[in-house]
Amino acid sequence: MATDAAASAAATATSTTKKVDDRVDYFNLPCPIPFEELHREAMMSLKPDLFEGMRFDFTKMLNQKFSLNHSVMMGPTEIPSQATETIKIPTAHYEFGSTFIDHPKLLLWGRILTDGRLNARVKCDLSDSLTFKANAQLTNEPHMSHGMINFDYKGKDYRTQFQFGNGALLGASYIQSVTQYLSLGGEVFWAGQHRKSGVGYAARYNTDKWVATGQVASTGMVLVSYVQKVSEKVSLASELMCNYLSRDVTASFGYDYILRQCRLRGKIDSNGCVAAFLEERLNMGLNFILSAELDHRKRDYKFGFGLTVGE
Amino acid sequence: MAKNRLSLSNVSNSPVVRRTKEAAGDAAFVAKKLLRSTGKAAWIAGTTFLVLVVPLIVAMDREQQINDLESQQASILGTPPPQLT
Repeated sequence: MATDAAASAAATATSTTKKVDDRVDYFNLPCPIPFEELHREAMMSLKPDLFEGMRFDFTKMLNQKFSLNHSVMMGPTEIPSQATETIKIPTAHYEFGSTFIDHPKLLLWGRILTDGRLNARVKCDLSDSLTFKANAQLTNEPHMSHGMINFDYKGKDYRTQFQFGNGALLGASYIQSVTQYLSLGGEVFWAGQHRKSGVGYAARYNTDKWVATGQVASTGMVLVSYVQKVSEKVSLASELMCNYLSRDVTASFGYDYILRQCRLRGKIDSNGCVAAFLEERLNMGLNFILSAELDHRKRDYKFGFGLTVGE
Repeated sequence: MAKNRLSLSNVSNSPVVRRTKEAAGDAAFVAKKLLRSTGKAAWIAGTTFLVLVVPLIVAMDREQQINDLESQQASILGTPPPQLT
């Protein structure tokens, strides 16, 4: 009898949720994802951090909140040049870093390289809905250091962000859930140093099975992406990026397999560039990374391997 | 000997032979070009396959093996093996 009652209660509950799903409840919309993470799924599949050479990362947790990070990178690095062929010089770096996480209120993150580059990040929740973020990149070369401060406000079904950076950079973005699945957003920015300003619009439609996003900006950039989640382990992503002003178009297609012991990502794009990235879990806290990138048009082939120790 | 060579040159200068030669030359040129472009296409396709598909096959195969092993163990022991986290 009790189970009967429970079953009928569950049935009515499901019917009511269905009713809610059927017509849009405009007062009960989910919070959208931040504007800058709009293409998150597509980026995850299509933009793994490919590298060339060897890398070794070691993370040591000193206690629950504090961890130290050591990493060594060796291999050729490209130097920008006007010539069509790429010029590479062999380099080696050591990077030391520390991370302090007081979850979920505070995050302090710092990395310093042997060539004098410093990266620092702060993320701090000022209240339940207001988040402060700061980001700094310091180098010993003049005019190459950057600093950025963000204020993120998270509402019930919208998010806003205000951005202040060096070089008189100002930006603001807003994203709002329109229906259960659809969210629309826009951004404005002004870079005083380069005398540039722009407006951008974006839309994102996500269901459990697929995610489609589109973004247009007054800089001429148009970006459309589509991610299909075939199963829990497999997702396929495609992206079309075109720049209206410089007239270059790139279409790319990629896959992302998350298996029990490894994660494999591959992509191919219309510039003749093929890439694959494999993260293999050898043991608890021991990961082996293989990265391959072939650029048939430029005849530029990059292969890398690495080891990550500690979580 | 000289007469022989003369007749040979006469034969090689005849229009039929010349046309044949030209056709053979053209065919060789096209064949070479075709062979080179097919070779290049095959090279690109092969290396792309090596980077994009071979790791996928290996990974899927191993996943399948692990699944098989687990189901075998489950059938022997009668109960599903404890999940290691």
